[in-house]
Amino acid sequence: MKYLYEKDLRPMKYTILTSARHDEATRAIARQLGVTDAKLRMVLIRRLDMSLLENLGSRWEMGQEHADSSDRVAEELGCELFTRFIPLVDTETMQSIHSDTKTMIESGSSADDAIEWGRARIREEVLR
Amino acid sequence: MKKTVDVSIPLGPVHPCWKEPVRLKCETAGERVLRTELELGYMKKGIERIMRGRPWQEVMFLAERVCGICSVVHNMVFIETMEKISDIEVPPRAAYLRVIANEVDRIASHLIANFSYCYTIEHETLAMYLLNTRETVLDNLERLTGSRINTAYMIPGGVRFDLLPEDGAVMLADLAKVEDEVRRVVRIFETGPLIALRSRGIGFMDREEAIRSHTVGPTARASGVLDSDLRLRHPTYQALGFEQVTRTEGDNFARVMVRFQEIFQSIDLVRKCIDTLPEGPIRGGGFCKAGEAAYSGEAPRGELTYYIKTDEYGRVVDIAIRTPSIMNIEACAHSMIKNATTIADVTATFISSDPCVACNER
Repeated sequence: MKYLYEKDLRPMKYTILTSARHDEATRAIARQLGVTDAKLRMVLIRRLDMSLLENLGSRWEMGQEHADSSDRVAEELGCELFTRFIPLVDTETMQSIHSDTKTMIESGSSADDAIEWGRARIREEVLR
Repeated sequence: MKKTVDVSIPLGPVHPCWKEPVRLKCETAGERVLRTELELGYMKKGIERIMRGRPWQEVMFLAERVCGICSVVHNMVFIETMEKISDIEVPPRAAYLRVIANEVDRIASHLIANFSYCYTIEHETLAMYLLNTRETVLDNLERLTGSRINTAYMIPGGVRFDLLPEDGAVMLADLAKVEDEVRRVVRIFETGPLIALRSRGIGFMDREEAIRSHTVGPTARASGVLDSDLRLRHPTYQALGFEQVTRTEGDNFARVMVRFQEIFQSIDLVRKCIDTLPEGPIRGGGFCKAGEAAYSGEAPRGELTYYIKTDEYGRVVDIAIRTPSIMNIEACAHSMIKNATTIADVTATFISSDPCVACNER
């Protein structure tokens, strides 16, 4: 006899993520990160537990409303959004990406290029 | 979860303190809980899938079966969403009767939540007092709706039964007894030194974290989140002069105390409703039409949202339910329990957030 708690939870996590509201949130996060929906689902299933996946939509909504918007670079990168609201990147790594991006802008790179570079690093971290 | 610590302690899925099966895996270093992971899936009903394609008359009964403890509010929010889609007006008397049913159900829900907490911290005497008081409350729900649980009291455009004046008088007398009894229990709870040891400063969650995880209901209000009670925006509650209860401690004690305070508030609301119950019909009538709407109501545990899409025959084409426990359980597992100084506080903290796994898994 196989108990549920010995089972692989991936199919159940996938079911949570593919319900209508969660699917909307997943697609929105994938768009912001610039990764495919399927890849993001894979990461979410691997990194987050079932209750966090259930609450993904609410956390995404709250992130849109309340994440730090005083610093443009932080907002564009989703510094708070992907560390405190949806924990996909650890805080230290995000801080280093944020400060490197800012340094690039200060040293003469265009803001858009620097932010794109920062996003690429966040993508790397998320998919790692 | 990547294992980086000494011991991984699983709590559940079957645990004497938990009302429903859920598995909480605690990663510990000594007695300290570093992080937790929650496993659901032991009681998945797939109720949203069962609802799809069925007429609203059937879905109405399914909606209140999402949760047995707060079934009245599931009925209410489902019906109010259907009314929003179909532009159905509710007569004032029916609106007041809905508030009475909802508040009596809220008292019953808060009593069982606090019973569970007292039971978990090993104060069985208080727990049994609360459970005994709940019986009187459920008797009064039966007096109004004809049933203790799964009442199916509300229908589009009104309610199914009126409240007779003599039943109203008995309800008021019973609620006065409940109020006295709960006041006595609150006095014991507030002043008990052993209760304080297990409750004060334990399972702390600050306001910012409560907002980040979209915590709702008494759990959010205990962490000082203002404007987090949807009754503030409900027209009938506004007419009754409703005000939100808020505390700022953010610990287990505050969560239990917010629920106690809300019991007194609910009793006052029921009194106001019975005293000022408008005359008139209890059913306005109307037809359920095709449309789509999202509507939220304040359940005993917090914000309950129904997204419904219907066709021209009143069938539910699509439905999604967001229950308050989805947010509260997650916040509890990842914020309140995190860094708990002892594993013994985990169960008490988990129960203090009034987790409803049936709601969470739907």
